[in-house]
Amino acid sequence: MRMQETIEVLNRVVEARVISRYAITGAVAAYNYIEASLTEDLDILVSFDDGANDPSTGLVSLGPVVNYLDGLGYRDWHKEGLVIGGWPVQFLPVAGDLDAEALDQALDVQLEVSPGRFVPTRIVRPEHLVAIALKVARLKDLTRVESFFAENAFDLSELCAILERHGLTVHLRRFCDQTGISNPCALSCKL
Amino acid sequence: MKQAVYPDISDILERKAEGRRVLAKLSFVEKVERMEALRERLGPVSKRKAINKIARSVE
Repeated sequence: MRMQETIEVLNRVVEARVISRYAITGAVAAYNYIEASLTEDLDILVSFDDGANDPSTGLVSLGPVVNYLDGLGYRDWHKEGLVIGGWPVQFLPVAGDLDAEALDQALDVQLEVSPGRFVPTRIVRPEHLVAIALKVARLKDLTRVESFFAENAFDLSELCAILERHGLTVHLRRFCDQTGISNPCALSCKL
Repeated sequence: MKQAVYPDISDILERKAEGRRVLAKLSFVEKVERMEALRERLGPVSKRKAINKIARSVE
């Protein structure tokens, strides 16, 4: 698995304290729960220590992580992704309470990359993946949400609570209207 | 008017659904490996698409 290199490099970035922590999100994170779909890049949700924030603008700079990876020889870009281990990696700084919660509660997993050899990483939980996809709501995100529903691959009460907490119940209602499915949170959430 | 008769393909659809369920049960690493192999196979197609796109933009 070429992604082994990607994950090992990400772990090095954390060990070097360039980022405080990360979790795999997006289409690749969904591989942990539903049938895989083809994707070009690897989305990584990251949080930085305060040093990466510019207090005057509130902007987060990816400069430190890009510079660190440049020092390791990773300087090829494919579209918006920095190529590591063959995967264009898109670093997505935490940009709201939902992202922060998704990163905080991500699963710690040990990937068995070869018999008896494990690499640690973190993967966003399925309920947060669905909530984020409903919020972003591009066609491919909604397709992924449909797969989560079809494969019953998340905890419904947990999803409803997340949507309620982050003001996203209307997004689920819209998805249900578009797809013709009954709103599964209707009984447990105030819509 | 003659009514068209179509075959019942419910068994095919059920096999496809079963295939999807089997694929969904693969481990994360197995899924990544399958996707990496697929990306490898699709690499020449992606490159050709990019070249065509550039060619169209300069026409």
